[in-house]
Amino acid sequence: MKMPTINLKKLKLPKIKVYGIDVIKNFLFFFFYIILILIIIATILAPSVKLFKKTKKEYFLAKNQFETIQKQYQKTSQELNSLKDKNQKIINALTRKFDINNFKLFAKEYMKIKSIKKLKTEPYKEKFIKTSYLIEANIKSPKDFYDFIDASKNYKNLIRIYFPFNFVKNDKDINLTFKIDVYNLKNKLNAEEKAH
Amino acid sequence: MYSFTKPKSKPLFKEDTKLWLVFYFISVFLFVSFALFLLLKAYFYNKDTQKLNDNSLILKQKIIKLNTQKELIFLQKALYENVHVKNSVIKTSIKNLLDLIPDPITLDKFLLSKNKLIIYGITPTKDVYNMLMLPPLESIFESTKTYFYQLPNGWYKFKSINIIKADNENAYN
Repeated sequence: MKMPTINLKKLKLPKIKVYGIDVIKNFLFFFFYIILILIIIATILAPSVKLFKKTKKEYFLAKNQFETIQKQYQKTSQELNSLKDKNQKIINALTRKFDINNFKLFAKEYMKIKSIKKLKTEPYKEKFIKTSYLIEANIKSPKDFYDFIDASKNYKNLIRIYFPFNFVKNDKDINLTFKIDVYNLKNKLNAEEKAH
Repeated sequence: MYSFTKPKSKPLFKEDTKLWLVFYFISVFLFVSFALFLLLKAYFYNKDTQKLNDNSLILKQKIIKLNTQKELIFLQKALYENVHVKNSVIKTSIKNLLDLIPDPITLDKFLLSKNKLIIYGITPTKDVYNMLMLPPLESIFESTKTYFYQLPNGWYKFKSINIIKADNENAYN
C-alpha cells in the first residue's frame, strides 16, 4: 500500500482580496505577530519584570532598614555625646594620670604631707585599675581630715580614702597615716604608659 | 518574443509584507529594549542594595561601639558616685567613733583598720571608762577587750581592742 504524499508546491493559499488587500496573508501575519509577542513576553519580558520587581523590593527593604539603623545611630550618637558632656568631670577624673606633687598641693590646705608611698597597682572590676598609696601626714585636728575627705570630691582624680587610719597624738598635732586608692580606666592608662 | 509592455522589476517582498516585517522588527526591538532596560535597572538596584546592606552593617558595628562607650561611661559614673559615697561613710564612721570619746578620757592613738579598732588613751578611773566609753563600743563592735595600766598619778593608761561586726565590715568594701 502506498503512502499518500503531499506536494508542497501545489499547496497554495487561497487568495481573498478586499480592496486589493490579501486578507488571508495579512491574517496569518497578524496571527504570527501575536504568537511572536507571546513568546517574547514569556521568555524575555516576564522574567525581566519579575527580577526587576524582586530587586526593587529588596532595594526598598534595604533602604528602609538602612534609614532605621541610621536614625538609631544618630540617636545613640547624640545620647553618647550628651552623656559625655554631662559626665566630663568623671571621665577626666578617670583618664587623668595621678600626679603626686599636684595631690600634695591640693592636700596642703588640710594637712602637711610627710610622705606618699606607692603600694601596688591592680586591676579593678575588669575595666579599671586601682593604684594604692600610703600617706603619712600631720593634721591639727580630726576636722582637717573630715574637710579633706569632703574636698576630695572636687579633686581632679578619683580617690578613695581607705583603711588603715592611724591617728597618733604628738606634742603639737596628730600624726595621721592612711591609704588612698586612685582609680583609672585600664585602657587609657595603658595607652599613656605605652606612649611614654 | 515581443511584448507590448515593458518589463517591471519584481520586488522580493510585496509592500504589505515589507510593512509587516518592519512592524515585527520594531516590536521585537521595543520589547527587547524594554527588557534590557528592566535588567539594567535591576542591576543598579542590586548594586545599591548591596551598598546599603554594607553601610547598615558598618552602622550596626558603630552602634555596638557607641553602646559599649555608653556602658563604660555608666560604669565610670557608678564607680565615681560609689567612691564618694564610701568616702562619706568612712568620714562619718571616723567622726562617730571619735565622738564616742567622753571628755574625761584623752586619746594617744586611734588605729582603725577594716575590721579592728585599737584605742590607746588615758582615763582618770576604770569606772569612767567602763561607764562612758565601753557601752557604745560594745554596741558597735563584736568583741571588745580592754587592758589597763596604772600610772604613777593614779590615772590609767588603757588599750582597747575592738573587733568589728561582719556586716559592718562589709559596708566598707
